[in-house]
Order: sequence, then structure tokens, then C-alpha cells
Amino acid sequence: MRGRDVLIVILVALICAAGSFALSRFMAFLVYSVAIAAIGALALNLLIGYCGQISFSQGALLGVGAYAAGNLGNAGFDIFAVLGGGIAAAAISALIGLPAMRLRGLYFAIATLAAQAILEYLFKTVEPITKGISGLTISPLTLFGVRIGSDQAYASIAIIVLLLTWLFLSWLIRTNLGRAFLVVRESELVAKGMGINVGRTKMWAFVISGFIVGIAGALIGFTSRLANPEAFALHLSIDYIAMIIVGGLGSWIGSLIGAAFVVLLPEAIERLGEGLHMADLVFAMREMAFGLLIIVFLIFEPRGLAALGRSLVQRFTRPSKVGEKLAT
Amino acid sequence: MYLVQLLSAGIATGSIYALIAIGIVLIYKCSGVVNFAQGAYAMFGAYVTYALSKLGLPAVVAVLVSVVTMAALGVATEKFVLRPMLRAPVVAVMMATLGILIFAKAICLAIWGPDQIAFPKIFPEGSIEVGGIFMTYNYVAAGILSAILCAAFLGFYQFTSLGLMQRCAANNSKAALAIGIHVSNQISIAWGMSAALAGLGGTLLATLNGLSLGLETIGLVAFPVIVLGGLTSLGGAFIAGILLGVLEALTDGLLTPALEEFLRAYTNIYSIGALQQVVPYALLVLMLLVRPQGIFGQRGTERI
Repeated sequence: MRGRDVLIVILVALICAAGSFALSRFMAFLVYSVAIAAIGALALNLLIGYCGQISFSQGALLGVGAYAAGNLGNAGFDIFAVLGGGIAAAAISALIGLPAMRLRGLYFAIATLAAQAILEYLFKTVEPITKGISGLTISPLTLFGVRIGSDQAYASIAIIVLLLTWLFLSWLIRTNLGRAFLVVRESELVAKGMGINVGRTKMWAFVISGFIVGIAGALIGFTSRLANPEAFALHLSIDYIAMIIVGGLGSWIGSLIGAAFVVLLPEAIERLGEGLHMADLVFAMREMAFGLLIIVFLIFEPRGLAALGRSLVQRFTRPSKVGEKLAT
Repeated sequence: MYLVQLLSAGIATGSIYALIAIGIVLIYKCSGVVNFAQGAYAMFGAYVTYALSKLGLPAVVAVLVSVVTMAALGVATEKFVLRPMLRAPVVAVMMATLGILIFAKAICLAIWGPDQIAFPKIFPEGSIEVGGIFMTYNYVAAGILSAILCAAFLGFYQFTSLGLMQRCAANNSKAALAIGIHVSNQISIAWGMSAALAGLGGTLLATLNGLSLGLETIGLVAFPVIVLGGLTSLGGAFIAGILLGVLEALTDGLLTPALEEFLRAYTNIYSIGALQQVVPYALLVLMLLVRPQGIFGQRGTERI
């Protein structure tokens, strides 16, 4: 992002954050759902799209963030509960990343699948922290002593966190570490040849991504006011991977578009099916559309919605290639 | 005696795991794709068998028709979903198979609903007693049948000319093309066979545990199996399947009660939940750290 773009993004986000107070409760709910999902998707895109480490444990990491932040928040740690969620998830993410020192690609993906299963089991059984299957009830977030109760306030907080995440990540990818991520993604051998410490680079990707995912998890916990094992099962990991694939691997704006798509699509289908009074069928339709869309996207636009949008914009704004050549 | 009982139950479920895992390994060897949709074929196969036998077809015919349908679906998946994605990155292909899984599950939900269904009796009811061990016919038949099928498939892969072509295509696709093997047809055949195996495995599993949408998780349970056996070894998948089945039975029957008793005596923890569901994954992580290529897999070499 150039300076001007950064300013535009900051401005738009601030306007959205301020404007979200004027929204209805339902609209505010949609806004924070999309914004929180986008934060998680940005973090996952850093790991998969930019560093090439396929992870199926996103859902469980969100859970770690939610449980940690929920417990800290209930204990009265104020805003630090959110940071605590981030730190806990970063630590667990680093632990999950340890096998990545030895494993690569597919084998590592299967290891993260195992991590997801083990964490789900722990959510159900470590009752002192997680309250088992019934779930942990979380009291509302307090911000420097002020209790945040309204959905509109959560919407604007989520937008601001999303903005900070975006700015941080797009700065990060321009640093030496960010460039190292890209080289590791392309080829670990080349990275080694260039003197990049591959293990350490991957570890940074896990820690940074984990921290952001934890914060997203904390926000999920505080907005839904309940953390139960079923909410953080494997299907959540799959949803997030779908977001970054539908949006575009290795594209920040793509993560945002993908998150909006995956969160709003089920809502839209549920709205359409509301008159039918057949909950199971509507749910089935929703899942069917979701599965089908993933497949169709992968076949016809593997670079995602972001790339599709870009090529459309180019088609309409630059009618001739001659003009483009003259301009440069 | 209790131990032998557990062992035989473990071997029975383990050989069904093996049946499903062999399909995943077959596809991976042939096309380098990890198929998460294997559970979908298992679930769908079981539902189709149920629907056909409800129409009045005899059980054997229903199973056969369902297996053939699954094979056709497998070939169709390869042709319409996987073939257009030849150059796509690994994560995209994995995700496409996950998309198939989600889609298939949604279709089963739309047609048959979310509730557990009593599966039609394929094997006669009752149980047999061998040396003080009681086993229902279901378990015996499902275990023996899937073990025989696994062995038969391994034999087919090793000794017939189609098996030889399969191995050629999997081993070196360029060389296979050079000697006149139609590699993409072989890949289609591999998908068909593996979907058929999965459909059969799903049907057998449904005779043991009843029919529900939860059947698709078998596709995920198969992953510890194939990693343990080595992603590239069919025989390894067979042995690892039985090993994990036994391990699960032992965890459920011996380790969990013992651990819970210990914990109740010394702490205030009452239950440790379904430990048998995570033991395979713990073993998987351990295996990946110690010997990533599995017990029987080959260590891959990489061209620079």
C-alpha cells in the first residue's frame, strides 16, 4: 500500500467505525461478524497465502483465544483479556508450528488436522478452564472500566482492530521477515540457499498469525458471550480456508471479500428460506451452496474474487492497451 | 478373556478403517491428491444401500448397486472436479475435495434428514461364541469381509495386468505414457476403485454403528491410519488400519476406565471423555515427528 492508499483505508475505516453506531442491532451484528472473520482470515492468509504453511487448526486456535480471553475477562482483566487471548493462541500456534521444522506441505497439513482434533478434545475435557460441553459463559468486555454492552460498539471495535491488523500485516510483508515468508513459500531450498533461517521464519509466521487469530477468537468470545467446543470444531477451520481461497490466496483485500462472502452467504440463504419453515432443508441448502461454490471457484477462478474484481476493473477503466503504453 | 474380546472387536473395526484408508493411499499414489472426500463416499454409499433396500431390493443387490454407483461417482469426481485443477496448488485441491465432502453431506441431509436411521439387516442377527468370547454376526461378518476385500485388492494391485498398469502410472507417469499406458484413464480408474471401496466400507460400518451423517468422520479417522502406514504403502495402510482399530478398542475398554479410576481416586476430575478419539491423532503427531514417511512408506527424494 502506498501512503495515499493507507490514508484512504484509515479514513474509510474510521468513518465505518463511527457510522456503525447508527446501525440497527442486526446490521451491527453482520458488520462485526464480517470484521472479526476478516481479522481471522487475514491471519490465516499470512500463514497459507504468504508463507505456504497449510493449516487446519484455525478453528481450534480461535477457540484458544476465546477461552483464554473469556477466563481473563471474567476474572476482571479489562482490555488485557483480549491481549491475553492473543498471547495464548500465539503460544499454542507456536507449539503447532513445531512439527513444521521437520515436516513440509501435505504432512504438515495432516499434523495440523491432528492438532485440531486434540484441541477439540481438550476443550471438552479440561473442565476447570473450559466448563466442558456446556461451554464457558463470558461476561461482556470492559474497556478501561467501561462495560461494552451494545452490538454497535462491538462493531466499531471490530472495525478498528481489523484496520490495525491490515495496516500491520501490509507493513510486515514489506519488511525483511515478510520477504522471507514469500521465499519460504516458493521454495524452502532456495530460501536456505539465500541464507534464510527457514525454521525461524516459519516460527515467526505461526506466532504472528496465532496472535492475530487469538485476538479474533477473543472478539468472537466477547460478542457471542459463550465459548463451547462445538463452535470451534473442524468446520470452522474449513470455513476460514474457504474464505481465503474464495477471496484469493496471498491477497489482503481478498481476505476481507472472502470473509464477507462466507459470512453473508449463509445469512442471505437463511433469509430467503425463512418463509419455508423447514430448518433442516434450509441448512442443507446453505451447505450445498457453500460446497458447490468452493468447487466452482477453485475450478474457474482459482485466484479468487480479488483477482476477478481486479480484471473486471481493468477491463472497464483501461479500454486500450495503447493508452497504457503511452502513460508509462 | 475380556482382552481377547476387545482385540477381536478392534480388528473388525480396524479392517474397515483399512478399507477406507487403502482408497486414499491409492489416489495419493496415482495422482498426488489427498482425498478428504473419502468419508463422503463412505456415507453416501451407506445411504444409497439403505434407500435401495428400502425399495425392496435384496441386501446383496442393494450393496452391489451402491458400490457401482460410488465407483461411477468417483470417476465423475475425477473427470469434472480434479482434472480441471491439474495445475492448481496442493491446498486448492485439498479444499476442492473438502468442498465435495460438504456438498455430499448437505445432499444426504436434504434427502434423509439429520436423525440416526436403523440400518437394514444385511447379516443375520445373533452371535457366536468361540472359547468364551461372544461376537455378534455383524462384527464377525464385517471384519472378515473387509479383511478379505483388503487382501483381494492388494492381490489385484500386485498380480493382475490392470494392477501393473496402475503401479506404472503411479510410479512414473511419463515413463508410463511412453510405454503406451493411458495415464489419465488409470487415474480415473483409481478414483473409481477407491470410491467403491469407501462405499463398501461405509455400508459395513453402518451395519455396526447405524446410519447417520456422522459416518463421514471415517474419512478423517483414515488420516492417522495412512500416516502411520506411510502415505505410499497400500499394505502399510492395511496393517496400520488394524493396528489403530485395536488401539482404539483397547483405549476405550482398558485405558480410559483405568485412567478415570486413577483420576477419581487422586483428583476431583470425574471423566476424561472420549479418549479413544484422540489417541490416533496423538500417535499421528508422534509418528510424523519420529518417522514422517510412516512405518512402511518410502522416503521421498526431491529434485532441485
